[in-house]
Amino acid sequence: MEMFLMSMGAIALALVLMYNYLIGKKNQVDNIFASVDAVLKQRYDLLPNLVATVKEYMTHERETLEKITELRAKALQGGLDASSKMALDSQLSQALGGLMVAVENYPNLKANENFLHLQHTLNELEEQIAAARRAYNQSVTDYNNAIEMFPTNIMAGFMRLTRRPLIAIMTSERRSVDVDHLFKK
Amino acid sequence: VAKLAPLMDYYYETMYPELKMLEEHRLHILSKLKKSALILGLLFGGICWIVIDTSFMEATHAVAASTMSGGMMFLLFYRYEKRGYTSLFKDNVIEKIITFIDPTLRYQKEAFVSESEYRYSNLLPQTYDRFHGSDLVEGHREGVAVRFSSLHVEEKRHTKENKDEWHTLFQGLFFVADFHKHFKGRTYLFPDVAERSLGGIGTWLQGWHREHGKLIKLDHTAFEKQFVVYGDDTVEAHYILNHAFMERIVSFYEKERKNLFIGFVDGKMYLAMEVSQTLFEPNLTQSVLTFTHIKSYFERLEMVFGIVEAFKLNQTLWSKYK
Repeated sequence: MEMFLMSMGAIALALVLMYNYLIGKKNQVDNIFASVDAVLKQRYDLLPNLVATVKEYMTHERETLEKITELRAKALQGGLDASSKMALDSQLSQALGGLMVAVENYPNLKANENFLHLQHTLNELEEQIAAARRAYNQSVTDYNNAIEMFPTNIMAGFMRLTRRPLIAIMTSERRSVDVDHLFKK
Repeated sequence: VAKLAPLMDYYYETMYPELKMLEEHRLHILSKLKKSALILGLLFGGICWIVIDTSFMEATHAVAASTMSGGMMFLLFYRYEKRGYTSLFKDNVIEKIITFIDPTLRYQKEAFVSESEYRYSNLLPQTYDRFHGSDLVEGHREGVAVRFSSLHVEEKRHTKENKDEWHTLFQGLFFVADFHKHFKGRTYLFPDVAERSLGGIGTWLQGWHREHGKLIKLDHTAFEKQFVVYGDDTVEAHYILNHAFMERIVSFYEKERKNLFIGFVDGKMYLAMEVSQTLFEPNLTQSVLTFTHIKSYFERLEMVFGIVEAFKLNQTLWSKYK
């Protein structure tokens, strides 16, 4: 009888530990996603200022600027799920990347102090976004491993936990930002 | 390599006259040490012979006691002479090389990174009984404020025979520099001994260590093999340790092959590298009149200053200018 009670106690303890472990992993993913969201919000806040500064110089890039404004407006609408947010963010990153390449054709803009400041702030934010995405992917990998590996997969099944998708990270984000290069511009 | 030709000119034109005097002093010390060894040998050999002859003590005990006493006396004498020579060596060699590297750098042979700064970083053991060091260098390299010294941190341990023994907790280089990114929390990286030796169990055990924050996994395989990262904020740790920075740390480690401990605290990077002796310890048996010998100290200093370039700490981000 004693043996039976001890075994039941051990099983109950193992179940509690597994439950808490999985909840911990799930919450970690949500917390880090909140950090990604926060840093993306900082970039959205910067965009109106950036667009206002560049549009008087970049007369031939009206289409790109409109696209950036449109993507920002969409991203700030409520009710978007994580993957839609990430897809919009990816499009926005591409549009901004294109804009920064186009800046090369506007020497007056490159000399504008306000623009330089905005460009460098954006650059730092991009690096923070890349870090947040990497941290998010790492936490999602840990979570996905936990819900697929034995024996936690059994508990995850009862808890109806499902796999979460990773955020696609562009190769350019894996590289560090070349600040030296930016200062030479 | 580019700096070696000017160093050679500097060595012959500025350092050589004083080094000749230092070399004479070194040879004089060596001669004194040889004489003292001979005298002590004869003295304690004689005492030993008398003790055995008078049957005051067993022969083996008498030999052991006289060897130990003679050895101890010689060691005391050697340490006294070495201390004097080390001081002169640092004035004539290390300080001169530092002036050659950058005349604005400040060097204090007796000073070291303060205990309060060591404790504030929380990078290395915080419970110890003796804290000392030497060779404090302060100044700017590539516009980055740097400060470093040798440190030796020890604790007293009681042996089974109820004796006290000094045990080294850390000995080596302690380097502090301004970091080029903004951060609020604390991030630490240590040699990944547990995972290397115990595999998965090691990782599990690392998760229980909470002194430096939570265990943070990073997405760089080579880096993860060598280091374990702890910190207050997972996202911030990823921000500080981007891929390029992790690669720089790995290549620096692979080049030096010394245990590295790095902490990012309050806008600064603290780096501790285990080295088995003090940074600029002179070798009494080696002549100071050979360029290669002097060059080795120059290279050691360049390695330390090279941390700024190796980790690109000079690439200050825009917001840090504000």
